[in-house]
Amino acid sequence: MAVWDLSVTVEDLGSDAPPVTLSVASDLHVGGVILKLVEKTQIKRDWSDHALWWEQKQRWLLRTAWTLEKYGIHADARLVFMPQHKPLKLCLPNGITLKLRACFSNPVFQTVMGICRMLNIRHPEELSLLRPIEQKKKKKDKDSAEEIYDLTEVPLSSVSRPCLYNGMPAHFADSTQMEAIYKMLSVTQPPPAPEVIAKQYRPASVVDKAHIHGRWLDSSRCLMQQGIQENDRVWLRFKFYAFYDIEPKYDVVRLTQLYEQARWAILLEDIDCTEEEMMLFGALQYHISKVSQSEPQMLSSSAAMDDLESALQSLEVKMEGETSTASEMLVRQTEYLLPKRLTLKGYKQYWFKFQDTSISYFKSKEESIGEPIQQINLKGCEVAPDVNVTAQKFLIRLLIPAPEGMNEVYLRCENEQQYAQWMAACRLGSKGKTLADSSFQSEIQSIRSFLAMQKTSSSSHGNVPANDESINTHSLVSPRYHKKYKTKQLTPRILDAYQNVAQLSLTDALMRFLQIWQALPDFGLSYVVVRFKGSRKDEVMGIAPNRLIRIDLGVGDVVKTWRYNNMKQWNVNWDIRQVAIEFEGNVNIAFGCVTADCKIVHEFIGGYIFMSTRSREKSDTLNEELFHKLTGGHEAL
Amino acid sequence: MFQCSQNVLWINSLSLWWSCGCTDIVFMLLQTHCLVYSRLQSLGQETVPPASLPSTDTEVNFPIGFGDLNANLHELEDNDLDALMADLVADLNATEEKLAAEIEGLKVPSPPPSDLPPPPKGLSIQPASSLASPTSPARGTSSNVSTPASSTASPLPPPPPQSSKPSKEEIEAQMKADKIKLALEKLKEAKVKKLVVKVLLNDGSSKTLMVDERQNVREVLENLFEKTHCDCNVDWSLCETNPELQLERTFEDHENLVDPLLAWTRDSENKILFQERGEKNEVFKNPQNFYLWKKDKRALKEIKEKDKELLIQENFCGTSIIVPDLEAVLYLKEDGKKSWKQRLFQLRASGIYYVPKGKTKSSRDLVCFVQFDNLNVYYGKDFKSKYKAPTDFCFVLKHPQIQKESQYIKYLCCDDAWTMNLWVTGIRIAKYGVSLYENYKTAEKSAVSSVWTNRSTPSSSNPSTPSPTIKAKSPSQANGHAPKPQPGPVSQDFDNVPLPPPPPPMADMLPPPPPDPVLPPLPPPLAAKSSPKPATPQRHLPSNFPPPPPAMENLPPPPPPPPINDASEAPPDFLPPPPPPPAAGYGSLPPPVSSLPPPPPPASFGGMDLSLPPPPPDPGFLPPPPPRPMFTGAGGAPPPPPPPPPPLQPAAPRPAAVRPTGSVKKMPPAPPKRTTPAQHGGGGDGGGDFMSELMLAMNKKRGNN
Repeated sequence: MAVWDLSVTVEDLGSDAPPVTLSVASDLHVGGVILKLVEKTQIKRDWSDHALWWEQKQRWLLRTAWTLEKYGIHADARLVFMPQHKPLKLCLPNGITLKLRACFSNPVFQTVMGICRMLNIRHPEELSLLRPIEQKKKKKDKDSAEEIYDLTEVPLSSVSRPCLYNGMPAHFADSTQMEAIYKMLSVTQPPPAPEVIAKQYRPASVVDKAHIHGRWLDSSRCLMQQGIQENDRVWLRFKFYAFYDIEPKYDVVRLTQLYEQARWAILLEDIDCTEEEMMLFGALQYHISKVSQSEPQMLSSSAAMDDLESALQSLEVKMEGETSTASEMLVRQTEYLLPKRLTLKGYKQYWFKFQDTSISYFKSKEESIGEPIQQINLKGCEVAPDVNVTAQKFLIRLLIPAPEGMNEVYLRCENEQQYAQWMAACRLGSKGKTLADSSFQSEIQSIRSFLAMQKTSSSSHGNVPANDESINTHSLVSPRYHKKYKTKQLTPRILDAYQNVAQLSLTDALMRFLQIWQALPDFGLSYVVVRFKGSRKDEVMGIAPNRLIRIDLGVGDVVKTWRYNNMKQWNVNWDIRQVAIEFEGNVNIAFGCVTADCKIVHEFIGGYIFMSTRSREKSDTLNEELFHKLTGGHEAL
Repeated sequence: MFQCSQNVLWINSLSLWWSCGCTDIVFMLLQTHCLVYSRLQSLGQETVPPASLPSTDTEVNFPIGFGDLNANLHELEDNDLDALMADLVADLNATEEKLAAEIEGLKVPSPPPSDLPPPPKGLSIQPASSLASPTSPARGTSSNVSTPASSTASPLPPPPPQSSKPSKEEIEAQMKADKIKLALEKLKEAKVKKLVVKVLLNDGSSKTLMVDERQNVREVLENLFEKTHCDCNVDWSLCETNPELQLERTFEDHENLVDPLLAWTRDSENKILFQERGEKNEVFKNPQNFYLWKKDKRALKEIKEKDKELLIQENFCGTSIIVPDLEAVLYLKEDGKKSWKQRLFQLRASGIYYVPKGKTKSSRDLVCFVQFDNLNVYYGKDFKSKYKAPTDFCFVLKHPQIQKESQYIKYLCCDDAWTMNLWVTGIRIAKYGVSLYENYKTAEKSAVSSVWTNRSTPSSSNPSTPSPTIKAKSPSQANGHAPKPQPGPVSQDFDNVPLPPPPPPMADMLPPPPPDPVLPPLPPPLAAKSSPKPATPQRHLPSNFPPPPPAMENLPPPPPPPPINDASEAPPDFLPPPPPPPAAGYGSLPPPVSSLPPPPPPASFGGMDLSLPPPPPDPGFLPPPPPRPMFTGAGGAPPPPPPPPPPLQPAAPRPAAVRPTGSVKKMPPAPPKRTTPAQHGGGGDGGGDFMSELMLAMNKKRGNN
């Protein structure tokens, strides 16, 4: 057989080095080519990760047993010999960039699996990579300053069979730097500065959101084929909003990153929510950031307490509570239904006592042994703060339910200390808890820290103490509310929402955040601008975990919903790039995609169907083949 | 007739009343009368035949009876309440001192005092709250004994026996710990509220039961299932109606029942109904109607079972509960105005919102109308005429405590019933989340198992109980109507029977004759067969006055008894097999225990019930039914049983007790009650005692007549 010259560029020789020329015959298999090549370079090293990349055809020659003839390679082929794993800058959901070696030769689906294995994220099928939004040139300078966590030194072999050490993959236990990286992955980031939020790109419309979803990489092709180069930047994100089997014990990183993605989706208004919901999200963020700094102790303390111990402790607290909380306050009681007037005038001083879940008040301390003037049971009442630290106004507004309606009562406290104590007591009382409840002290603490927030934000222009208790509340809400409310106005609203979540553990708070996020009506929708067959206008297709929705761009309304479980089949006509779906009852739809390749839509639909099959098979192994079958399209087959 | 459905009763120990303060007592007594009276009336028709008294007569008689009762109670108040209270306080003080002395290192000094005082405080809102138990017996000694039995039996038993001889220090420490625990538990128990609740049935009759503050609606329903022999399907619900506001609401199965009842005003005409309410679990039967409500109704009807399951899976089994995405133009009654205004409302997990005029439907523009934390959703009845609502399909959101017209009540009106159900259900999902689904699953299970229990119950009851009446009733009769035909009305349905007689004989009733009969036999067997040592000490304690007073000190001894009982149980020497054993144990204990424990026992029983229920069938006594057989027996010879108990009790605890005379009567009642509940073993309903006593009384009366 004829021998001809094949030139191969060896990346490791440097970009300037000339290609290496080999004499080969067409029946030589790829493995033989590589062998010859390695011999010729005379470099001794581990070449096992290297493979040949055929530049013109944009494909890897990974089947070493195939001959050149079978691959159709002739003398004009430009081949590159290079490692399959290359450094990639990975932007995580928490906004931090990580540099690691990712596989450039396998389908992206497998690349993501490898990345997730390295980062200790279970269920990699839910994540994928997408191209970043182009940033303006200006920002480039900034990027250089950005800290990049480097994981490229992690040996690939250790990743392929991960073992856990102290609950984290062993490769993170190698050095303190690595441990720091793991901490970054598994601990939530502090709330971003309001300016940072404001600077981020925010999709302003459904169409903007649709454009983002046009950036997903194709799961069935490799990075090289999609033009991703070594050291390029890509985003790692949760793509399929069907989070299977979240187990806080094993899913520390997954849960944290999921929370981060949700948090940013809220902050950047990627998903819409109401003002009340925003305040609750804000309160949860505040709580999470606070608790994540002190969590380790909490974990151990709650579980270890023995019955008796806790009983005794609560008893102790009770005794203390009952002696220490009888203190003096000013009170003004508004009559039923009278409009509230907050002037000082209307307040009269009484001696107050808090017992069980009730407040009683007396003319004076001396009379506090006898019958109270009135006793107010706080169970089920609404407690709201009315506080202005600079004006030294510390009011507690109580809305007390009675058979006839709600009675409004204002308690005016003398100082911050007293306010925090009584406010905490009222909060507990409203939930039917007494001062003996173990949460009393922490409740006081959190109220004080919120007061501190108000203090710093109102007197902030000067020296702001870098106390981590003092978070700018603008960091917790989307920029829309930066304009709508001053931090001073925002603080009490978030505090208000905070009282319902203040007792949650870190994990519970994270889960709660995710639950509320998932309960939003628009949750899980990925948008694509499409044009329906026979229609002349652009419309939006929303792809959710269980259904497709058709949105009229003009009105912004959902016009139609189709559920996957009614779907009989779907096809893609790759020639005219059209997706056709048939539903039960002879419903047929067909559309072309405007903002995304139809492969992306195809992959979304197939992917969600794949996700829904997971629960049925109990096996933990990922059925990769099925995924590709459902999402691959003609190329996979 | 059914006015007072809410009553607070501690029949066993009248002394309990003290804790409520005098005014409350009076109030409660009055209510009790009303209750009994109304029940009598209702019963009158049904029970008349058996009683052989003309209905009119019964009615007449009863009022008189009430008068007696009233007098009795008042007497109590004057003479004995003080004494009781003194006893109790003394007792507690003693306990306290001991505790303090024993536990030097620990800071537990004043726990008891702090807790005890609270009861009187209770505002009008909480008439019911009071110390449930401690009262009556007021015998120091007995208290000790009782506690161990009632509270955790396991921890106590081990320490005492060992402590007496072997390693001291450890054991002492352990004992201290146990005592503290005990004391704390007692304190807790002492605060347990109980209500006697009248529940109206579909046929117009009613059932009365005692509800413990810790019971949820599901448990109460289970009780009612036992009493009514209904088919136990998942639709059975407890509903609350408020005639004044023309509202009604189905309680959710996981809700606590006592809390909402405490919100009722004293003169409330609210009622509790036991009904089948299809809408309660409709969302799980036809989820498509709620989650796919936008689709046309024909398509919804044709939906496949598989798709329904999928919908439930999607919306109730994920990480987050999904609330149906509702949006509709509803009429809103403006605050304090008479007019109804249309608004476009949206339901979200976080609350109900509306779209302000001129704004889009985008989330950020929505205005929050209500959030659900402090609100319940009610169906409005007949609002067209009451509030000039556009339609009669109205629902209301209000704080559960609001019972009268108020600006804080939100009225909403829908175009049709379908929409109204959609919204009410949607709101419930948003408010209660996964609990609804769990409730449904529990109800389903119970419905299935009930089929079996129902079958088994009758059979078991028959063998155990000689009286034919029971047989007839339990199997066939659903709501206690059946009782009429039977000669032995008493035995039949608790509800019906007990009512009539009770009032007058109060004093007599208290003596709990039924338990006694059982008890007497038990003791002997115990002592004889079961571990002799422990048993004997037990006996002694009660009998010996001196030991009892030092309640706390005695603790060691008391624990042993429980173990003994257990031991005895193991060998089914006693005729009354498993369930009875505990009962027996209690029975013996009660006298001693009476002082402190009374309240706890009910609670503990509730807890124990769960475990107990199964055993009862064996012995032939059914948890619920057992009482009957016994009673019937008692009914035959009521006098004999009662006498025994009184003597015992007085002998043991009384001597020490402050009150000499009148007290005797009261004392007996307390102990017996405990015994009764234990025997019941029925799903934690303390009501049994009450009922059984009433029955007894009735029997007596009849006998007299």
